[in-house]
Amino acid sequence: MVSLRQAAINQLRARVIRRHGRDSLPISINRRRIYILPTRFGFMLGAILAAMLIAGLNYNSNLGLAFAFLMSSMALVTMHHCNRNLLRLSVDVTPEVDAFAGSEALFEFALRNDSNMDRRDVEIRCLSGAGLGSVPAHENASIAVAVPVKRRGVTRISQFELRTRYPFGWFYSWTYVQGSLTIYTAPAPDGSRILPSVGAQGNATHSEVRGDEDFSGLRAYEPGVPLKHMAWKVLARGGEAAVRSYSSLAAQPEWLEWSLLVGLDVEARLSQLCLWVLESEAAHRPYGLRLPGREIAPSGGAAHRFACLRALASYGIDES
Amino acid sequence: MGNERITYANLLGISACVGLALIAHLSALPLWVPVVVVVCALIRLSMARKGRGAPPRSVLLTVAGLSVALLFLRFHTFNGIAAGTALLSLMAGLKLLETQTKRDIYIITLIIYFVSLAALLEGDSFFTLAYLIGVCWITTATLLRLTSAVPAPDWRRSARYGGRVLLQALPLALVLWLLFPRFAAPLWQIPSDSRTAPSGLSDTMSPGDISHLALSDEVAFRVRYATAVPPPQERYWRGPVLDEFDGHTWRRAYSGYYKPATLQPQGPAYKYTVMMEPHQHNWIFTLDWPASWDLQRGALSNDYTLMQPYALSRAIDVTATSYTHVQSGEALSAEMRRRNTRPPPRNPRTLQLAQQMRSAHPGDMDYVRAVLDMFAQQPFYYTLNPPKLADDSVDEFLFDTKRGFCGHYASAFAALMRAAHIPARVVTGYHGGTQNPYADYWILRQSEAHAWNEVWIDGRGWIRVDPTSAIAPQRVEMGVADTVNADEPLVSRWSRNRPWFAGLRLRLDALREMWRERILDYNQDSQRDLLEMLKIPEPDGQKLVMVLAVAIVLVFCWLTWQVRRELNPPLKDHAARAYAQLCAKLAAAGIPRLPHEGAEAYALRVARLRPDLANRVTALCRQYSFLRYAAPSTSVTAGQFQAAVRAFRPKATA
Repeated sequence: MVSLRQAAINQLRARVIRRHGRDSLPISINRRRIYILPTRFGFMLGAILAAMLIAGLNYNSNLGLAFAFLMSSMALVTMHHCNRNLLRLSVDVTPEVDAFAGSEALFEFALRNDSNMDRRDVEIRCLSGAGLGSVPAHENASIAVAVPVKRRGVTRISQFELRTRYPFGWFYSWTYVQGSLTIYTAPAPDGSRILPSVGAQGNATHSEVRGDEDFSGLRAYEPGVPLKHMAWKVLARGGEAAVRSYSSLAAQPEWLEWSLLVGLDVEARLSQLCLWVLESEAAHRPYGLRLPGREIAPSGGAAHRFACLRALASYGIDES
Repeated sequence: MGNERITYANLLGISACVGLALIAHLSALPLWVPVVVVVCALIRLSMARKGRGAPPRSVLLTVAGLSVALLFLRFHTFNGIAAGTALLSLMAGLKLLETQTKRDIYIITLIIYFVSLAALLEGDSFFTLAYLIGVCWITTATLLRLTSAVPAPDWRRSARYGGRVLLQALPLALVLWLLFPRFAAPLWQIPSDSRTAPSGLSDTMSPGDISHLALSDEVAFRVRYATAVPPPQERYWRGPVLDEFDGHTWRRAYSGYYKPATLQPQGPAYKYTVMMEPHQHNWIFTLDWPASWDLQRGALSNDYTLMQPYALSRAIDVTATSYTHVQSGEALSAEMRRRNTRPPPRNPRTLQLAQQMRSAHPGDMDYVRAVLDMFAQQPFYYTLNPPKLADDSVDEFLFDTKRGFCGHYASAFAALMRAAHIPARVVTGYHGGTQNPYADYWILRQSEAHAWNEVWIDGRGWIRVDPTSAIAPQRVEMGVADTVNADEPLVSRWSRNRPWFAGLRLRLDALREMWRERILDYNQDSQRDLLEMLKIPEPDGQKLVMVLAVAIVLVFCWLTWQVRRELNPPLKDHAARAYAQLCAKLAAAGIPRLPHEGAEAYALRVARLRPDLANRVTALCRQYSFLRYAAPSTSVTAGQFQAAVRAFRPKATA
């Protein structure tokens, strides 16, 4: 029975992909893609309603029938309400996230509710992860879905699901969104080797940190740059967003190199590189990454960090 | 689903709902059942308060086993409403005791719904229905609080939401109720729960029985006359006829239902519908001599009481035709004569009196008149609380106390007749009735219970004689309340002195009667009438189902519209709605309004892009601006603006 139901649901999911194709996010959920079924509790209620109806008919009791019909109608109204709880809800999500092997990838789904009704108890399911939240009328809310990832690699998700059992748990309605989501699972940061610069220059690090103060010019803004480095005055004058660059940052990029880590196997090397990326990023030092056949120019900030982690995650894996 | 632990508040809410549902059953359940349920709930609540889970399984099983065994000893079955409800209630209580997760509470809500229905299966009151719908509402609101995973809505909002679902369900429920096909006969035999004691007249009459009954203000039955209403002195409603006397008590002899003697009716026929209350007896009250009736398994006993084979446990309507005077062509059968002239045992003084009077009045009718004159001339009193009588009740009444209610007079009269070899019997029933001015029917209450006599006069047949009319003629003319002394403790006297109360009571009774007729007795015939009202030719079951299907589709469309409309309710403001319409029309013509554009700026832009529309659009936008921003007393109204927008039909291209 369960497997039969599962088979039907799998078939439905495949059909949804064929019928709707890829969805571009953000997407507003229309009525044609919302499905609804009774829950187990709903089936029990159905059995009770049938018993009520038969009892009413058998005792020829008009009041009993009135009550049975009222309850049945309430169940049907509830069906509409359950369906409505997802209707015209807008969903958006950042399609690519990073994670570390053995932990969880975190998707932040942004839900927008343009209607006059609160949307309560909306659940988002994505692989084995699920998150629950409510969106009050005319407001936005975000629902975090943590997807556990075990091994380094690239996980592609072609579909996620919104579902709700609101209001009474008699029905659940759900919808599939064909959004392609990707999890880049970097290796778990690990290793005992010290950063190349620290190893090579010893105490020089200290003077360089002071060199942080030497202003050397402006460069174009890119996301992830520390706010204190923003050239606010330039922006205030009406110019393009720019970042002050400092001599020490520009001058001494750190190269995190695959070739430095002789004597380790592939995963251990990647783990060590991952640790270095995190350390360099935490110290606001520019860093570059060199992997066999791949080189990422030195820089800093969240986008750069993501690019590096992504490179580590997909190393040796065909990304297409 | 549903594996989450429950909180104390969840438990408290659902316990309250179980309690509310049980209240509707209190009168029908053995007292210990609700006690067990309440104790279970209290134990579980106190445990939850201390943060403890459910008691161990062994305790639960013991309690369950014991209660079910007790229940079986009490009912000997689990079929039927009372036993089934008791079982379900116990299940709800025990389930409360073992409740750990939300799933347990889901089960309890289902039990509550079913138990609520059970109270309605044999109930008939509007208030029961309203109360149980209330219970269902509260239970559903509790369920909403329970199922909400993220911060549960507060009580007020849950109740409002549950109420809204209930209101939206009403149209569909109404359509289903009106049009869902009813069965003529039940699907299977209903186990009879004769849990209510018989009420009203019984088939025995001891001195004082009827005066006791007369203190009750309960409704015995209601009557709607289809023909003229018989005059007051003819409104005798025949109940059980008593023809066995042991010197103290009169009893009905069970003689079977053979065909009674044919009668030749005299005087007008009265056609009427008796709306019987479920009195748990076999007889149906009819006006004096019933000639025809529409009761399927009804038959006349040989003393002309309309009987049915089983005790009446539901309110039913019987339409019948009766005569108030009849003549019998045949002679009285030997068996009947023997039975109705058996001299009264004991009561020697009565026998002696009868012999004296009989020798003075050899004619049967003369003798009857002489006895009635005796009642009228000697100091007999008509009273509601006569003194108690011992074994020789007729002797004591006739010679010692001389105070009695109708039963005493009827008993004494029949005894005097039989002692003189005139066939006589006691007829019990009701006399009179109150017309309800707010609806077209008469009410007969227990206080109008009466006893009178029938004597057999050769050549004429059974003749009705009411000895009470000899002693208190106004009893027959005006009714019991006007006859008895003012100090008698009669319920209706109180209301008689307060006309508003009597009026209110009659008005309520009229409502109740309408409720019964329109709602409780709604059946296949009513459905056929409904279809005829909808102008559907030759209504039958098939057409009913078709109409039901169409109605369901319509209601579903309404429901879908209603439910979606709540997502985005339409603009209430006519001007704003018309303006939105204008913008939509212009957008269709290729110039959508930009989100930041005001009416005037939009008009300017439209005028620039589409010179052909410039005048109209500028005028319309100006009107809207006036409606929006100018003082109320401007030249244009919202209605005019709406009409102007409706008339505006821009072409797609210039």
